[in-house]
Amino acid sequence: MLNKTNRRDFLKRSVAVSAGALILPQIIPSTALGMGGKLAPSDRIVMGAIGTGARGRGNVREFLKRDKTVQMVSICDLDTTHLAKTKELVDAAYKNNDCRLYGDYREFLEKEKLDAVTIAIPDHWHGIVYTAAANKKLDIYGEKPLARTIYDSQAIVNAVKRNNIVWQTGSWQRSKVTFRHAAELVVNGRIGKVSHIEVGLPDGGAGVGTPPIMQVPSELNWEMWLGPAPKVDYRGVCHWNWRWILDYSGGQLTDWAGHHIDIAQWGIGMERSGPIEFEGEAIYPRDGIYNTPVEYDFMCKYANGIQMRVANSSRLKHGGGATWYGDKGWISVDRGRIDASDPKILDEVIGEKEIQLYKSDEHFDNFLECMRTRGETVAPAEIAHRSISVGLLGEIAMSTGQKIQWDPIKQEIIGDQKLNRLLTRPYRKPWELPTL
Amino acid sequence: MKKQYLIILAFAGILALTSSCHFGAKYKALIVTGQNNHNWKASSPILKQLLEETELFSTDIATSPENKADMSSFAPNFSKYDVVVLDYNGAAWPEATQKAFEKYVSNGGGVVSFHAADNSFPEWKEYNKMIGLGGWGGRTEKSGPYLYYVGDKMVLDTAAGRGGSHGKNQEFEIRMRNIEHPIVNGLPKRWIHGSDELYNSLRGPAENLEVLATAFSAKNAGGTGRNEPILMTIKYGKGRIFHSTLGHPSATGGPALECAGFIVTFQRGAEWAASGNVTQKVPYDFPNAGSSSLRAGFKQLTLEDDLTKIATYDITKSTKYFVDLQTRIRAEGKTPEAMQGFEKKMISVLQKAEATPEGKRLLMHELSWMGSDLSIPVIQELAKNAALKDEAEFALARLKPTK
Repeated sequence: MLNKTNRRDFLKRSVAVSAGALILPQIIPSTALGMGGKLAPSDRIVMGAIGTGARGRGNVREFLKRDKTVQMVSICDLDTTHLAKTKELVDAAYKNNDCRLYGDYREFLEKEKLDAVTIAIPDHWHGIVYTAAANKKLDIYGEKPLARTIYDSQAIVNAVKRNNIVWQTGSWQRSKVTFRHAAELVVNGRIGKVSHIEVGLPDGGAGVGTPPIMQVPSELNWEMWLGPAPKVDYRGVCHWNWRWILDYSGGQLTDWAGHHIDIAQWGIGMERSGPIEFEGEAIYPRDGIYNTPVEYDFMCKYANGIQMRVANSSRLKHGGGATWYGDKGWISVDRGRIDASDPKILDEVIGEKEIQLYKSDEHFDNFLECMRTRGETVAPAEIAHRSISVGLLGEIAMSTGQKIQWDPIKQEIIGDQKLNRLLTRPYRKPWELPTL
Repeated sequence: MKKQYLIILAFAGILALTSSCHFGAKYKALIVTGQNNHNWKASSPILKQLLEETELFSTDIATSPENKADMSSFAPNFSKYDVVVLDYNGAAWPEATQKAFEKYVSNGGGVVSFHAADNSFPEWKEYNKMIGLGGWGGRTEKSGPYLYYVGDKMVLDTAAGRGGSHGKNQEFEIRMRNIEHPIVNGLPKRWIHGSDELYNSLRGPAENLEVLATAFSAKNAGGTGRNEPILMTIKYGKGRIFHSTLGHPSATGGPALECAGFIVTFQRGAEWAASGNVTQKVPYDFPNAGSSSLRAGFKQLTLEDDLTKIATYDITKSTKYFVDLQTRIRAEGKTPEAMQGFEKKMISVLQKAEATPEGKRLLMHELSWMGSDLSIPVIQELAKNAALKDEAEFALARLKPTK
């Protein structure tokens, strides 16, 4: 939906920033004003980045490729080596030395006048930083999963709505033709009535035992990295491998829920709702600091009777990806493959009068496009919230050994008050979710 | 029913048959040992203990004459048993004993081939059909093909070459190949085995053989760079054979035998060989892809072990006792009463002055979701302690929501 107020705000901010950006005149390439650049310089989107580790830097690189529409001006990270590497990238792209650096997202959000921000930080920080950035009215390209807990995830959805910002989740499979085609065939009944779905996500791997306590490297702000999570000593496990520790992540399951569960729900029109029942089992490492499940297998049921099994891929016949089974056949899709019970199903064309799923051919472009139209992206916060909710509720069912009845409208676990406690992970003081 | 075995030692000291009485055991097992290039004096009593721990087996041990001694009188009465466990790698049995064994198996007897038993009897054709694959003892392409996995495909490779080798002892990951088979059904699909020899390049007739699990034999550890068969089943006549290449024993058993993965697959394999079914429950301590899991002294942890160890836990120690407690709560805390049973025991550790702060933190974290009002005053008290304050506040925020 096009929001006029926002559009005006957006232009106003763009102009303000461009005016202020007189300090950066040399970065506007002459081609931007000629044939190659269709946008007036005043329409360039001014962006920053929070979190510039492996994933964050990859996203910055994508935005830098769009240097006719995007101006990346500042970055924030609590590791100075990340900052240095990313500044090098940004400055090389614009052939200057102007990329501004921050070590604290609060100062970054306070001082920088931006249109949008790309954020890629550990899951336990998502609730706070996504909400804070939304409250600054910044459009956000944010990494999946939406949050570490359902409570945080809801807070982000509310902040996005309240602030009328454009949100794109890094669930980029939605902008790939094979995934859309598979989901579109399923949603239009090409395999008949769907009875069940299998979603395969990666197996967990080997642990590292309990490494000794080490001195925190001088480049890393460890206390800030922990943030709202429990205070623990540094053992050399931080960037990337945080995802194998429950205080920060749910492991492969929550890391990948925003991909294949997301696609699975797209194909049955459940992307803004969710299952009503969860039950399953996980296998946890027997020892060591990595404690996310190495194997997991849970079944959930939707109100319409469709059942979905989510498991580590080596337990499933089709391995990784999403496989829908209907009364007339099946379709299975993963990165690099799409299969069906009868290959002819895949050649089917969806007619004009049938359900057309949101068509995005490029995930980053879709975000930038929606910033201009103020329309909804292909992976909005509400959908990301519903995708990770399946992973998080499955996690709760498996970690407690209890069967869970879920109300997708009220968003609470029915009957057992104790289990609702697991919808949150209380923050360590003084951290709390920002209020508007 | 008390079973009394009449022990007839026709030639005393040549055939020693140890008997055990086990009330209510469903199956009779016989361990055959006495010669091995491995420490059979260590392994055989352990195998006996493991079988009897299941309460499914009463177990005898048939000990052969020593190497190079006269074997002519070695004639265990196989037909009395439901399963014969082979911990034997030595001199050929007398022909009558071989025939009796063939008859026993083809008539439906069960067999477990343990570790180096698949090195034995390279010349005995029917035996090699029973074990499916073997190694050493001059085995070559004449013994049959190599068997290994490439990706998800089993390969029978008739290339010339010797059969049987292994790299250096180390932990390695085992990958289940047929997760539907009763022996491995319900077990993790991948698990790390305690330090052991990883047999490679086994070859044999491989008839009626099904691979249940493989392990990658890394070249940099002296292996083949192939996925080698580790657990197998073979059908011979009406008989069932479970073949485990695992279990290189040290003088006290060591990590290969203490591995809960070895123990449980051995126990389940023996039950399947004896009966065609597996009724044993998967224990809490089976290893997985995240970590190996050894049973010190071949004993499973009890809830009391867990709580005692958690009370002394500090950040340099193993978290396995806490993981074991969590697993127990997940599996057994199905009613409010059962849950409160755990809670009360956990609270009693929280109330111990001598229990470590690290141990108390773990317990408070768990109580944050499964605790009742009973936990609240105890944790409120601990919140006064600076070392416990953060975790206590975390737990109280969940136990006493403000809204």
